Amino acid sequence: MKLRLLISLFLLLGFYKQSLAIEFEELTTNKGISFWFVKDSSLPLVSLSFTFRGGAVLDPKNKEGSTNLMVSLLDEGTENFSGNDFKLSLRENGTKISFSAEKDKIEGSFQVVSSQIQEGFWLLSESINKPLFEPKEIDKVKKQIVASIKIDKSNVQTQASEKFNKLFFKESKLSRNVKGSISSLKNISRKDIFEMHKMNFTKDNLVIGIAGDIDSDKAKKYVDYVFGELPMLGKKRKIPKFETLAKGENFFEMESPQSTVIFGQRGVSRKEESYFAVRILNYILGGGGFQSRLYKEVREKSGLVYSIYAYLIPFENDGVIIGGFQTRNETVNETILKVKDQWNMMKKEGINARELRDAKTYYKGSFSRNLTSTISIASLLKVVQYYDLGRDYFKKRSEIIDNLKLKDVNLLASELFNKNDLFFMIVGKRDI
Amino acid sequence: MKFTSLIFLFILFSTNVFANKIFNAKSFELRNGLKVIVIENKRAPVVAQMLWYNFGSGVEENGKSGLAHFMEHLMFKGTKKFPDSYYSDFISKIGGSENAFTSYDYTAYYQVFPKYELEKIMQMESDRMVNLTLTEDNVEIEKKVILEERFQRVESDPSAKLDESMRSILFPNHYYGRPIIGWKHEIENLGFDDVIKFYKKYYIPNNATLVLSGDVDFENVKKLSKKYFGKRKKGTPLTYESVIDPKLETSVMVEMRHPTVKQNIWKKFYRVISYKTSLRESLALEIGLKILASGSSSILYENLVNKKKVFSAVGGYYQGLTRGEGSVYFYAIPNQEIEFEKIDKIINDEIDTILKKGISKKRFEIEKKKFIFDSIYERDGVLNPAQSVGEAITIGIELDDLESLNNKIVNVSLQDVSTALKKFRNNNNFVIGELNN
Repeated sequence: MKLRLLISLFLLLGFYKQSLAIEFEELTTNKGISFWFVKDSSLPLVSLSFTFRGGAVLDPKNKEGSTNLMVSLLDEGTENFSGNDFKLSLRENGTKISFSAEKDKIEGSFQVVSSQIQEGFWLLSESINKPLFEPKEIDKVKKQIVASIKIDKSNVQTQASEKFNKLFFKESKLSRNVKGSISSLKNISRKDIFEMHKMNFTKDNLVIGIAGDIDSDKAKKYVDYVFGELPMLGKKRKIPKFETLAKGENFFEMESPQSTVIFGQRGVSRKEESYFAVRILNYILGGGGFQSRLYKEVREKSGLVYSIYAYLIPFENDGVIIGGFQTRNETVNETILKVKDQWNMMKKEGINARELRDAKTYYKGSFSRNLTSTISIASLLKVVQYYDLGRDYFKKRSEIIDNLKLKDVNLLASELFNKNDLFFMIVGKRDI
Repeated sequence: MKFTSLIFLFILFSTNVFANKIFNAKSFELRNGLKVIVIENKRAPVVAQMLWYNFGSGVEENGKSGLAHFMEHLMFKGTKKFPDSYYSDFISKIGGSENAFTSYDYTAYYQVFPKYELEKIMQMESDRMVNLTLTEDNVEIEKKVILEERFQRVESDPSAKLDESMRSILFPNHYYGRPIIGWKHEIENLGFDDVIKFYKKYYIPNNATLVLSGDVDFENVKKLSKKYFGKRKKGTPLTYESVIDPKLETSVMVEMRHPTVKQNIWKKFYRVISYKTSLRESLALEIGLKILASGSSSILYENLVNKKKVFSAVGGYYQGLTRGEGSVYFYAIPNQEIEFEKIDKIINDEIDTILKKGISKKRFEIEKKKFIFDSIYERDGVLNPAQSVGEAITIGIELDDLESLNNKIVNVSLQDVSTALKKFRNNNNFVIGELNN
């Protein structure tokens, strides 16, 4: 599921059709925070989407899960609200606040109905600036996370993702489980949680997008009110390139009639010039809806799986392609071979002109789906800033996509895809 | 009572979030009985089309469970005019997205796409209502896919197996007791002839509601739906025989033991009223259960998780948009090993204490406000409104009732809520389940 969350963000980075200019303003507050903004008064609703660079990679060794624990406590009591009052106040004021700790960042979203805007921003500010992290709340939330770790351990699909991450990313901190472990949670003190709060919420590692029924002056005022007093880190956080990634196969036994297999190999970073070409290649191989080669070969023609997919997950300095499927224990090997075949075909033969044309029109056409709700507009504005894609991103994209040449894309396919670089994590019962 | 309602109206109007109609949907009906609903929203040049058929697994004959869902998968296999995966490939090519889902009471197909392609998408959707060209091969391969789906959703998930078993006991007579995806051994025996018979019998315009939401124009939709869906022939409409389940007079506890389970979970499913039986009573139950058991601000959570620290989580929710009886689902995750008869007692005692003390006026008002604020969120997007309206209409709720739910919620009193909760507490139609290892 975590994986899915990550992916939905990247899906927002579709290409752009020239006729669909998204008119945003770049605003800077009195306290020096800049953000992108779209005014949209079609509904009495304001949506704000934000990211702090940081996340689980900041957790100290043996205290894995600290960032997630801290984030889970933000609505469990603040200077002016008990946990219960805070949550009731959200309900009473048509306000939704959510935080999620991820490997290399904290994602947040905030929505409020226009009539309750002041109350809503007050609640957001309380959760970010004034959490109390009281011992009894820490104790409660730790128990809840332990229960959720145990539930994850009971589930074949979650186990497969977890084991895959752990082995595939090797010594990179991205191999960590964001929730930590039952033993690492025990080592986290209240002081550690305050420390993680300070480390994660810094003004210069914050990215914000806002859309909705609010004017720009008010938006600036509220952004300062919520985020203005956060400390500065003085530098931008970066995740180093992966030194090595695992290859081959690994197996973990669980009692189940069906196995889950997660697989992956290195991809490219968001900053790489070849990023869009790789995105298109992956779309044709395993992305999108019901049109991918993996879907057609492994599901439609062979009936081996219900779902099969591959996603390109770009980080700022590196990237991976990760895929997965579920199949009966006895057809695991057959299905893995089919995936490898597709990988090899991509390397040897690349894609054809029709596939490239259809993928280009997909990315141009799908962009407008980002503009259907205030929260999706706010997220789009945020993601473009997060990757420093530039103010002219929306114009540049259409040129880049139009300029992709079949020959270059296929050269890239032959360099990037390698079935021998794939790592497969299999969780299920071995078929003997 | 009158007085409080008045005060409420005043508060709601003054906060300026009180829309008279939630969706502002317009509707008409074609001569062949197809209902069409249009929800205009021009924010982005995007349209969501949903075609809702008013049948799901409920119409399956005995021994043929899973057939409605099977049919849903096969609807993607192409027609003479748009063969194989032409429709799906077209949607991908234009940057759209699509899917379909089957429930007990309905089957729905949807696409979200740039508005310029409205006509073609409507044409293709209407085409597959009658012109599907299936082969034996399609059916046999797709059966394997569906069995994998059942393995993924149910067979490899002990918690899902427990739910399946609990529902089969809770609804011993009604089709709600039969899994939508079908029992494994029955899916295995479904064949080409079953599918064709099902398709011809049920896929007709007078069993369906078409919903278009987003950047569309009412008059244009009228024209296009006449042009494409208008030519579909009316068939024999579906009639539902009302099947009523007996009272459960034994106490049933179901246990699912599985070696992979690392966390015990307690569940309790109830059979309750639905929105169709009584809108007012259901709204009262909805509000009451939200106060009692929804999320981490509920009274049960506050008392049993925060104060008494018995559970790490406890909650429940109501599913009342059903053609037959509705359901309520409760769950608890104990902090320590507790016998599950005891868990039931702990929760019941707590509910009794809460009901005895009474729910405060303040808490009640918060929940009503939230209900109305939520209706604003529901309109943010193109697919959500189509989903909400389509589901309600298909179940048999009147469009006017749905549009004016906010007015109806205003008229629900605290007394209604406590009556609904007391009735719920005395409801003996339930099954208890426990997941452990």
